[in-house]
Amino acid sequence: MSDNAESPTETQKDEPSTPQQPTEDSGTADEKKKIDVLLKAVGDTPIMKTKKWSVEKGRTVQSLSQFISRFLKMEANEQLLYSSCDMSGLPLRPVSEFIYVNQSFSPSPDQEVGVLFECFGSDGKLVLHYCKSQAWG
Amino acid sequence: MADDKDVLRDVWFGRIPTCFTLYQDEITEREAEPFYLLLPRVSYLTLVTDKVKKHFLKVMKAEDVEEMWFDFEGTPLKWHYPIGLLFDLHASNTALPWSITVHFKNFPERDLLHCPSNSVIEAHFMSSIKEADALKHKSQVINDMQKKDHKQLWMGLQNDKFDQFWAMNRKLMEYPTEEGGFRYIPFRIYLVNELMGIPRIHDSDEIPSKR
Repeated sequence: MSDNAESPTETQKDEPSTPQQPTEDSGTADEKKKIDVLLKAVGDTPIMKTKKWSVEKGRTVQSLSQFISRFLKMEANEQLLYSSCDMSGLPLRPVSEFIYVNQSFSPSPDQEVGVLFECFGSDGKLVLHYCKSQAWG
Repeated sequence: MADDKDVLRDVWFGRIPTCFTLYQDEITEREAEPFYLLLPRVSYLTLVTDKVKKHFLKVMKAEDVEEMWFDFEGTPLKWHYPIGLLFDLHASNTALPWSITVHFKNFPERDLLHCPSNSVIEAHFMSSIKEADALKHKSQVINDMQKKDHKQLWMGLQNDKFDQFWAMNRKLMEYPTEEGGFRYIPFRIYLVNELMGIPRIHDSDEIPSKR
């Protein structure tokens, strides 16, 4: 499954109001609400520079997984531009990361993060571990 | 739990008589006959339809065959939903046998997950079990089980072995009151919404209700 929703936004430390970007479908006010997600790398998977993200409740796990992949590739490409002759700057084909909740199970790719937050969130955020390969399969 | 054994068996052995018909636009070398199968309610489409694939491959060229997928009245069927759920959501008001259309081309990327092998189904199934136990027992029961126990759960489902499955599953379904019982009861509610006359399926997941 693929969807073209907007990227999650970084949580600002001083919390200014995040401007609503146009989305493909007009959801209800509820669907526009966001939850805080903390992303943690597993093993030797690259660590994202930004770990805390504000994600729309309706966003799927698969969409988040693809976002992480693209983000990590972008970070890698930035380093490549400075250090090698590869100036194409094109994003590589995104590969989905494995996403885990509670370091124990992998939620279904079409699961909405908002629902995961309601069931498994703590201290106002949902902690998700991501890994290039299967970690707790 | 022992008293419920009859109910457990009835649930496990529930079957849906199904007629699989090849999509009319698929390229065949000769006429494709429909294929009839009794589908287990508790299993997954991609796990139990090898015979369907073999049947239709007999009249098709290999180059015309990509990943198999199914639709009912134009709606792609999500293989990662249990078969009984799919039937109840989409076809409970229609006459039996359940008429499913088989495709080998134009995989609907936006609607369906890919299922390249049985290990994908196993991973999905085990993740669901773990997710449920995270809510029931803070994952303690599933984590205390050995890898071979997990495998037995899966093999029981894959091979339709009620006793093999429940030998392991009963550990996950026990809630000894002296140990506090289930922390939360996990269940999923699937709603069929009508939006502008088009049925839409909304999955609202485990609602933890503290006992």
